Amino acid sequence: MSAEPNPTTPEVRLEVSGIRKQFPGVVALDDVSLRLRAGEIHALLGENGAGKSTLIKILTGVYQPDEGEIRLDGSPVRFASPRSALAAGISVVHQERNLIPQFTVAENILLERIPTRGVQLVDHAAINRLARPWIEMVGLDAAPATPVAELSVAQMQLVEIAKALSLQARILLMDEPTAAITPHEVGYLFRILGDLRRHNVALVFVSHKLEEVFELCDRVTVLRDGRNAAADVAVATLNRDQLVTYMIGRAEVIAELPPKPAAGEPVLAVAGLTTNGGHAALSLVLRKGEVLGLYGLVGAGRSSLAKTLVGEIKATGGEVRVRGAITHIKSFREALEKYRFGYVSEDRKQEGLILLHSVRVNTSITIWRHLRSFGQWITRSKEDAAILPSIRELDVKAHSLSQSVGTLSGGNQQKVSIAKWLAAKAEILIIDEPTVGIDIKTKNALHELIWDLAANGKSILLISSDMPEVIRLSDRILVMRNHAIVGELLNTHQYDEMSEAIMARLS
Amino acid sequence: MTRLRSLAPGVALGLLLIDVVGMLVLSVVRPQFLSTYNLFVTGRDLSILLLVALAQMVVLSLGQMNLSIGSIGGLVAIIESGLMVRYGVPVPVALATGLVLGIVCGVINGLLVYWTKINSFVLTLGTSYVFAGINLGITHATPFYHIPNEISSFGQARVGPFPLMAAVTIVLTLLLAGFLYQVVLGRQLLAAGGNPLAARLSGLPIRRTTLTAHAISGFLAAVAGTMLMAQLGQGQPTIGATWVLPSFAGPIIGGASLAGGSAPVLGTVLAMVLISLIDDGLVLVSADPFWVQFLIGALILGAVVLGRTRLSDIRAFLRISTTRLGGTTR
Repeated sequence: MSAEPNPTTPEVRLEVSGIRKQFPGVVALDDVSLRLRAGEIHALLGENGAGKSTLIKILTGVYQPDEGEIRLDGSPVRFASPRSALAAGISVVHQERNLIPQFTVAENILLERIPTRGVQLVDHAAINRLARPWIEMVGLDAAPATPVAELSVAQMQLVEIAKALSLQARILLMDEPTAAITPHEVGYLFRILGDLRRHNVALVFVSHKLEEVFELCDRVTVLRDGRNAAADVAVATLNRDQLVTYMIGRAEVIAELPPKPAAGEPVLAVAGLTTNGGHAALSLVLRKGEVLGLYGLVGAGRSSLAKTLVGEIKATGGEVRVRGAITHIKSFREALEKYRFGYVSEDRKQEGLILLHSVRVNTSITIWRHLRSFGQWITRSKEDAAILPSIRELDVKAHSLSQSVGTLSGGNQQKVSIAKWLAAKAEILIIDEPTVGIDIKTKNALHELIWDLAANGKSILLISSDMPEVIRLSDRILVMRNHAIVGELLNTHQYDEMSEAIMARLS
Repeated sequence: MTRLRSLAPGVALGLLLIDVVGMLVLSVVRPQFLSTYNLFVTGRDLSILLLVALAQMVVLSLGQMNLSIGSIGGLVAIIESGLMVRYGVPVPVALATGLVLGIVCGVINGLLVYWTKINSFVLTLGTSYVFAGINLGITHATPFYHIPNEISSFGQARVGPFPLMAAVTIVLTLLLAGFLYQVVLGRQLLAAGGNPLAARLSGLPIRRTTLTAHAISGFLAAVAGTMLMAQLGQGQPTIGATWVLPSFAGPIIGGASLAGGSAPVLGTVLAMVLISLIDDGLVLVSADPFWVQFLIGALILGAVVLGRTRLSDIRAFLRISTTRLGGTTR
């Protein structure tokens, strides 16, 4: 990668036009175009299901378009496989990390071309030596021989970028790189991306966070329902409202949340909770009909606190009272059956859903026990009758209850993971990062849903590192840092005031 | 139709077609295929091997495997015949003891997997040696001859060409399908196979599902062992020794995922029909007996690969070739 100066009129490096891609039953992309220039960061936006992932998969050779043309440096190309796209200098940093956790940083960077000596013996010294410049280029603060499993999410991302650069990537696609990293790390990532821009790499940046687009990107392409809602528009000529209108087809209305009844008696009271994970003498109270926000950065110990409350992780000390009675919840089953806990996990694909199975199974899984007749038998009609109210209440969009959840959009998957707890009549819902990777429209819908649940008497512990979300939804906000609660704030729903107060507790 | 699809998505229809064609071809090329005796013998083998395949399928649906199916079948047959021949234990008591023993062996497998969290491949490979070793220690490799007449005559009983044994297999297959698709515990088992973490975080009893799957596996192996003992008319120590390949071939050709979460009962049935046809076909065309094992192995491997080739793959393959022929690429 040579550090040529940024030319005044940047050359078009990749031009995609008239792309159409059809899957059985749906047209995923129709007449889509995208133009990437050297030394520019191009935002690719769209709601979930708008076709961004399909477009990225076409650019990286995973899918072949049914129609349309891809031109690289002016000449038409066709990527038959991910390998051929890589060879042409197109790399992608995925949402799902594509690293081998047991391997070292250097081995992951050089995975496809491990240097050898003699009769195909792996040359470890050479691996570390060859990987070092790329590690330094992305500013990763880790030795080449560090196992990837020991890195943070943000560091893993840097490894992926280093890997892409080492493959001589001239076009780098970043698929929601900021979804799982802290604001500080985002700032660092943006500096790296800025460096790459100066080095004439053509960058594509996929994100749901519009603030980031305005901060970082030069141009933007918006997809809506598989078509271009905007193609190659200069970001500087747009404001947030225009961008949102492109994305959702109308102006964004953030509805004022209706007033809800005041919180009732405490349903969950934790005093002096201590765990082996680092929580020491932690206390909190959750009341009936309340949304209690738990704000903190990734790694602050929020999810492990949640898992301790539902019996997944053992507490070593302290007292937990549910509706006044002291409890020692030992398993998640007990938490659900006896104390009516529901837990919407942060990682819905790994921990929340059985992707292969149907919407029906994933929703009714919590209540099979109560559906049986004639001893053990479950009838489909009874099952459907039990879950349809929850499915309707949450407005889950699926062809049928038999559709497998793996094929639903992220927002609808999230709705299914909430619906199963509604079906189970859970009273205390612990919801962990409900809107990570979920688009604006669905996010609003999920917010209203969580609010409604609280208004109807459910008690909600909302874990989130999305500050606007916490401030919009919570009645009270707990701020968590290093496994301790460092502040409790009564929420005024005034963003500026509250965000300042939260940041003050964090620093 | 949707019912059929949910039982064995996609794969079953193709298998049904292959089975029907196979039968037609065999009956044309070798008319003795349709003889009462041949149908009886083939049906009897199928009845036993199908139970073996289902014993594997139920564990595969949990995302685990059971390499000790054959040695459970063998041990059960030995214990049953030994009790009857050596100690004169009444037939029903001996059989009940054997079947319970099969369940116990399965539960041992399940407990080991659940407690140690070690891969079921290694654990059941270990227990298979243990079970087979007990078998060998008891018998010193000598069969228990002269089992009671009611058992051995059951092994030969038939209605027309239909072996009476088939009734046992049919009933057990239907019960298993009903259990997996409609009964709470069966559903929980499939869910735990599909995503153990999500299943646990949904409040499902993981230990119970693990134990149940392995217990059913042990039970089906025990029934298969008992039926083979009845067919042979003696407690052969070698019963079950050759079951490993068919036990996996059936569910895998039938569309089961090794990762768990799927339980294609119908697909497994049709796959075992195919394997029986291969087996019988080789006998009917008088293949060199010393090469039969090679041929069976090769044909089953071929069927596994073919069974995994989905219609969509073929279509995708054809589409690629047509675009190439059209000369639009490269």
